[in-house]
Amino acid sequence: MRPSAPLPLLALALLVAAVMPAAAHHSFAAFDMANQKTITGAVKQVDWTNPHIWIWIDVANDKGGSDTYGFEGMSPNYLARRGWTRTTLHVGDTITVSYRPMKDGKKGGMFVSGTTAAGKVLTMGGAGDGEPAR
Amino acid sequence: MDTQKLANHIGCVVLLAAALGWPAFAQQPIYKAPAAADWSALSKLPDFSGVWERGGGGGRGAGARGRSGGPSFTPRYEAMRAAAASAPQPEDNATANCLPPGMPGIMGQPYPMEFLLTPGKVTIVIEAYTQVRHIYTDGRSLPGEPDPKFFGTSIGRWEGDTLVAETVGFNDHVQHARGVPHGEKMKIVERFRLTDPDTMSIETTITDPGVLTMPYTTTASLRRHRDWTISEYVCEENNRNSVDQSGKAAIDLTLPGTNKK
Repeated sequence: MRPSAPLPLLALALLVAAVMPAAAHHSFAAFDMANQKTITGAVKQVDWTNPHIWIWIDVANDKGGSDTYGFEGMSPNYLARRGWTRTTLHVGDTITVSYRPMKDGKKGGMFVSGTTAAGKVLTMGGAGDGEPAR
Repeated sequence: MDTQKLANHIGCVVLLAAALGWPAFAQQPIYKAPAAADWSALSKLPDFSGVWERGGGGGRGAGARGRSGGPSFTPRYEAMRAAAASAPQPEDNATANCLPPGMPGIMGQPYPMEFLLTPGKVTIVIEAYTQVRHIYTDGRSLPGEPDPKFFGTSIGRWEGDTLVAETVGFNDHVQHARGVPHGEKMKIVERFRLTDPDTMSIETTITDPGVLTMPYTTTASLRRHRDWTISEYVCEENNRNSVDQSGKAAIDLTLPGTNKK
């Protein structure tokens, strides 16, 4: 049996697209969509890449060191049309990330929103005021 | 192998090719060099130029309605659909591995596309997965035995202000629903037209004798953004998603700077 029927002619893609546009590339199967967590750390790296951007932050742990968490966002194409740029976040910025955690417990998940130290809220709909910049 | 043997060998292959009717020497449609008149004729066509964003929802099925508004299958294919629906569901589909969705799914992606009208051809540049569709409007016929492809083989014609594209020849990645393959004679007809200066309507009708009980039609609309350009989308650039043969989805969280699998 074929592992996965690419796009059942429209159905799945559109279902996913309706829910969360740029995620049509893959399902939410790896994320625990029933839960949302929040964590604060310092931006270690931003991968402004397709098919998704990845925001990596270092979070202090209780051993005096830090752990790196990875958060998947939309695509740079999608975000660039909604006010984000590759320098919206800078290395070293403190950010509080709300995310859907990985089902397997690994450190990271799907980026839902972020709040910078200055109180700026970043969503996947747009940077700044949270409204799509069209 | 000496020269004589080689010559005999080649002769045999050529004879075999002729006997089997191999298409190696079949007449291919010729793309005629456009004349100035062909270029100026384009100005009479509707203005499809620029970058269009899929909008207006996913398009509702009309006409043949099976369960939940989807296409209506003949009993044999409905049984396949039901069997697949009750079997364990794969967690993801092959797009997670960066294969593009086939037709018509590629036309419903949350990324824009650009229409290029040139003499004898409409080209659709699709940002998602960096794909291109080629619709020949030079009067050629659809191939009788097209090679199976994600996007099939397309021809088009103008009916007034409507571009009517016909597409045949799909590969096995194109399915009507999970577990429901398409038939040999599946055809997609798309009707593209402007409904206002910056809105395009696409009516998509799928026919598949022996598989669908009647044509299945959906409609969608696109919105033009004059200030947008098509951007690069190389899915393999940093794809951390995957789905394996068993249908299990995964995300690679290997730290940046280390070896990603």
